[in-house]
Amino acid sequence: MAVGFGVALTPMNLLFCFLGSLVGTLVGVLPGLGPVGAVAFLLSLTFKMEPASAIIMLAGIYYGAMYGGSTTSILVNIPGETASVVTCLDGYRMARQGRAGAALGISAFGSFIAGTFGVVGLMFLAPLLGRAALSFGPAEYFALTLAGLTLVSYLSQGSMIKALIMAVLGLLAGTVGMDPISGEERFTYGTLTLRDGLGLVPVAMGLFGVAEILENLTVIATQSVYQTKIQGLLPNRKDWRDSAWPIARGSVLGFFLGILPGPGPVIASFVSYAMEKRLSRYPEKFGTGVIEGVAGPEAANNSATAGSFIPLLSLGIPTSAIMALFMGALMIHGIQPGPLFIAKYPELFWGFIASMYVGNAMLLVLNLPLIGIWVRLLKTPYVILFPLILLFCLIGVYSLNANVAEIIIMLVFGMLGFILRRVGFEGAPFILAMVLGPIMETSLRQSLLISRGNFVIFINRPICAVLIVLTAAFLIWPIVKRKRKTNNSESEN
Amino acid sequence: MKRADLVAAIGLLVLAGFILFESRALSFGTFRVPHTGFFPKILVGLLLLLSLSCLVQTLHDKVIQSRAEKIQVEGWFRIGATLATLVGFAAVLEWLGFLLSTFLLMVLLLRAIEAPKWSKVIIVALVTAFISYGIFAWLLSVPLPAGVLGI
Repeated sequence: MAVGFGVALTPMNLLFCFLGSLVGTLVGVLPGLGPVGAVAFLLSLTFKMEPASAIIMLAGIYYGAMYGGSTTSILVNIPGETASVVTCLDGYRMARQGRAGAALGISAFGSFIAGTFGVVGLMFLAPLLGRAALSFGPAEYFALTLAGLTLVSYLSQGSMIKALIMAVLGLLAGTVGMDPISGEERFTYGTLTLRDGLGLVPVAMGLFGVAEILENLTVIATQSVYQTKIQGLLPNRKDWRDSAWPIARGSVLGFFLGILPGPGPVIASFVSYAMEKRLSRYPEKFGTGVIEGVAGPEAANNSATAGSFIPLLSLGIPTSAIMALFMGALMIHGIQPGPLFIAKYPELFWGFIASMYVGNAMLLVLNLPLIGIWVRLLKTPYVILFPLILLFCLIGVYSLNANVAEIIIMLVFGMLGFILRRVGFEGAPFILAMVLGPIMETSLRQSLLISRGNFVIFINRPICAVLIVLTAAFLIWPIVKRKRKTNNSESEN
Repeated sequence: MKRADLVAAIGLLVLAGFILFESRALSFGTFRVPHTGFFPKILVGLLLLLSLSCLVQTLHDKVIQSRAEKIQVEGWFRIGATLATLVGFAAVLEWLGFLLSTFLLMVLLLRAIEAPKWSKVIIVALVTAFISYGIFAWLLSVPLPAGVLGI
């Protein structure tokens, strides 16, 4: 850990940690560009950095966005990103009752405590899991990627079939370029741009950046920031008493939900809210401005961000769109996350962990005194904001390889993402599948080569068998549920 | 939204057919020794199957909940204008150079939603072009095209 602080506390890395946290908070505050879009955009700028600085800055954006997202939820009733949706329920009510300061304060302190808890968990669990994963063969990796993708599709907000279609399309997009085993070209049409595969940055920026802006352009609404004097940011003793357990429960719950595939922070915040409501002595008051409804979910979403790094760093398997981008960032520097990651790059791993402690402390400092500035920024008219975001997307993509074709790829995926979103197809399973595709294909083909075409290899190994059974359960359960629902409605008629 | 779902499902079936056609030259191999086309062809099969179930489900469901709000004419105009400007930027970037293309991009985008005063538009566009050039070309050493202006 001392090595880690040695890395994290160098002036350069402190600066990048600060920049990441600042940009993250900004992204969280401003609706219109989520953390995935922001990480995709800054990914292109990290190519020239040291790997440690790159990952420290990108992580700062991720957890910074979780902190910043709550500010808009509380003050404007508009979540800056999805993990803060639930904070609107009681946070905004508190602001309307003149308790905006206490809501913002407890969300910042709760986030800090939970974020720190999450980092401690990551520190202990990632090396353990990494050691266990050393015994994984290609069959386990195939089963793991398959289960991960199915679970992400199962947890998607809309129809599961549509999410699965997006996952399959993403896997197909991952096959563009050179075959990972034989080196033969596939779907490249002789172009140099496609020989190395579809770029992760242009695709992610198209699907999450451009598509989101196009969606916002359909309705231009001017939001009014709730005009209130924000005072008393330090929660009082009663606030602390009411929030202590929700923060503690949210931290633990969020951390474990973050490890699972899917949009961990989002699910964690919703589950925490539901749990606090159930455990409360006055559940009927939830939604009218109770502090527990802010403290629990805000703690949970921050702790989940730390948890979601575990599968990536110890197994080499990203579990969400944003983790897929982190994997891209590491691989661009020639670093393969996986069981050997911690042993091979101890400075990078511990430096990253230490930077998260530092970053969480920085965010506490950033969020509380600077709330006035964030509120003023919220008033920036969208007419000015959207051309700037688009310009940064364009330069970001162009700067990758000085190649205009990558801009075209981004625009095509932006348009596709916009259309698909409107008919209920989400981008997250696509981008995750695109990154997991090559791992999945290689492990499937290697497993079949080892077993001489016998699929029993996926069942007679215990970890594999459990994962395959889980996958099957996630696939069958929605069908059973649907059938039951139709039977019920038929019997009612 | 039922019509949109139907169009999406049919579009996906067509896409699956197209990918199947495009992958005809890739050899599947056998389960014992899978080749280059093994994984893509399995995926196309899955895509066909899932798109068909999506189609059947759409036809079978009596009521489809509307998810997205209908886009008004002005909304379509804004999206069309923005996309056309972005494609135009990609087309002229290397020829006109970064500064000039960015200036034009900003002018057109700023006018895409509302029509602020021309003086305001030109000032914002100029400032953005120069500041972004400063940040990317000088601070971050990103190679940006010079174009006809030679800067």
